[in-house]
Amino acid sequence: MKKTFIVLSLVLGMAIPNIVFASLKIVTTTQDLAAIAKAIGGDYVNVKSLTPGTRDPHYAEAKPSMIRKVFRADLLLLIGAEMEVGWLPAVLRSSRNINVQLGSKGHLDLSKHVQLLGIPDAPVDRSMGDVHSEGNPHYWLDPQNGLKIAKAVSEKLAALDKEYALYYKNNFTKFEKTLTRKIVEWQESLSYLNGKQVVAYHTSLLYLANAFGFTIIKEVEPKPGISPSASHLSGLVSLIKQQNIKWLIMEPYYEKRSADFLNRKTGIKKVVIPQSVGARDKIKNYFDLFDAIVTAFNEAK
Amino acid sequence: MSILFHRHFNKVTCVFICGLSFSSIQAADGLRIGLSGTVIAGGSTEGDAHLGDIQSGGHDPSRNGFSIPNIELSLSGAVDAYFDAQANVVLQINADGETVLELEEAFMVSRALPAGLQLKAGQYYTEFGRQNAMHPHTWAFVDQPVIASRLLGADGLRSQGARLSWLAPTPWYSEVYGGIQNASGETTASFIGVGSGHAHGSDESEGEAAFAEYPLVDRSINGAEDFLYSARWLNGFDHSDTISSNIGISALFGPNNTGQESATQIYGLDLYLKWQPENSQKGFPFVAWHTEVMRRSYEAGDDSNEEHQTLTDSGFFSYVQWGFKPNWILGVRYELASGSEVRHDEHAGEHEDEEPDPLRDSRQRISTNLTYLPTEFSKIRLQYNNDTADHLDGAAHSIWLQFEYSIGAHKAHSF
Repeated sequence: MKKTFIVLSLVLGMAIPNIVFASLKIVTTTQDLAAIAKAIGGDYVNVKSLTPGTRDPHYAEAKPSMIRKVFRADLLLLIGAEMEVGWLPAVLRSSRNINVQLGSKGHLDLSKHVQLLGIPDAPVDRSMGDVHSEGNPHYWLDPQNGLKIAKAVSEKLAALDKEYALYYKNNFTKFEKTLTRKIVEWQESLSYLNGKQVVAYHTSLLYLANAFGFTIIKEVEPKPGISPSASHLSGLVSLIKQQNIKWLIMEPYYEKRSADFLNRKTGIKKVVIPQSVGARDKIKNYFDLFDAIVTAFNEAK
Repeated sequence: MSILFHRHFNKVTCVFICGLSFSSIQAADGLRIGLSGTVIAGGSTEGDAHLGDIQSGGHDPSRNGFSIPNIELSLSGAVDAYFDAQANVVLQINADGETVLELEEAFMVSRALPAGLQLKAGQYYTEFGRQNAMHPHTWAFVDQPVIASRLLGADGLRSQGARLSWLAPTPWYSEVYGGIQNASGETTASFIGVGSGHAHGSDESEGEAAFAEYPLVDRSINGAEDFLYSARWLNGFDHSDTISSNIGISALFGPNNTGQESATQIYGLDLYLKWQPENSQKGFPFVAWHTEVMRRSYEAGDDSNEEHQTLTDSGFFSYVQWGFKPNWILGVRYELASGSEVRHDEHAGEHEDEEPDPLRDSRQRISTNLTYLPTEFSKIRLQYNNDTADHLDGAAHSIWLQFEYSIGAHKAHSF
């Protein structure tokens, strides 16, 4: 198929990026996965993310440009756990690329390689808001999970591209070393959060809390994905005062009005957490991501 | 497999099908079941008798008061390693209060053809423009655009057939579609359609079926020229991180039943442009602009017919949706449509001062609406339409309040 594709392209006189000949084409659903894939794959992979880190990947739309990227991919990395349920199945159905379909060797669902939190212990339905029955899909926000993602990716790359298996393995070892060292630094830097209680906007920061030893006692959203009502906010005001809660953590893309209201009423500090690689221009890789999160906390300290 | 599936549904399937404890049951692997429904309340200055002339879409509000224009059951899944399949069954209550059942779509699509090819076969919406293949629950307004109702039929152009599409290896997204479908049926209005466009028999009082006074004849299917052929070229561009667009051109060629030899051609151009800032909550804010222009040439009658002539109809719609804050969308739409005059020779004395044909006259519609989405699974929409047309004495005003819901499998977020 690749041959036909190349021949057709030449016949049509289309410019083909030279990477087509040299390297494994990886498509990821988020920039976090892209950053990890790049760290492991290095020079031998070409990585593209279908969604930008500035947006909530759950609400992405199945754009034609995504179909084209998936059509050309050798490997698809996804978050899974229903994160991409609204658009990835549609893109895959239109992609006509059998190598990256569910169950194919070029389809890697990273949620199967980490321990998911927030798995409901009873059946859920949509009256409960956006509760994911398989568990909370924001697992990349625990750096220990980043390590598991990197390991799964390096094993997958080694299996798909045996020639460079050792290269991928070495890159993983390097990644593991740096990450392990940095996790200690980050934890030291945020040690003041240990055992503390915070309020979060959405249920998406559970893994971050887990990684740094703090607890999210309440969300600004009354139910996941449901905008806060005035009465819910006033309930939060009394809770924040009563428990003397210092931090409200939220992603950059949520509305700030509720947080500002709570800040005025209680003095709670708003900590805007860049939740993904690419959420800010400066966050280029997975280490930058936690550096930026640590900075965000320290600035609100 | 369970990415595509909700435990919720395992439970429902279980209650209905097996009646066993749900913890032990897995529903058929990968079968996605969804149901979406719409109820519309409202009214128009046009009475029920003529409401169909201005709300001529098959899933438009059909009467003053309450309408149930679309209850859609959707089933889909992978057949095997080679095919996906989907069926959409629609129930609605028509203007006469009768429940109507229609097989909206039922098709299979290939998964594994080489060279960027994809085959689709069955009953499906013809890929003509952007609007035609959109299911009612994805519409930006409560009703179908005027020109779409006129040229592609009340229920949208869909028929039985097959199409091949090719994803071209261009640096941008470019897809070419070519298809062949049966030209006859209830939902092929400009071709060998049944009636002149009004679906569900709401307009039987006019007597014998005709198109612009040309009686519809029984046309036999003799060969390749008696099928409906469709072609489409769709291009998609990401202009920046915040702006994307689709541009397409489409064409339809097929026979019509005002004669044994007569033919129809329809051409269309569609544009869709969407802006969404880098930081957006649940996909808001955004601005989307969708425009389609269409033109039909309809050869009325055979060469041997003394009144043989080609009738042209054209029109466009253009709308902007502004998602100004999370869950809120403001929409404005402008539409024009018109048809060429029917020319009569000297035998035509009986046609004195005929009534303008509501499906071909000059018409302008301005609509505006406000939509609130409590979640991505429900929708409340208030819409105002202002209509002026040759067949109307003055402007017609209509107000519709729509409530829409979706349960089961997660609907696709299509661009």
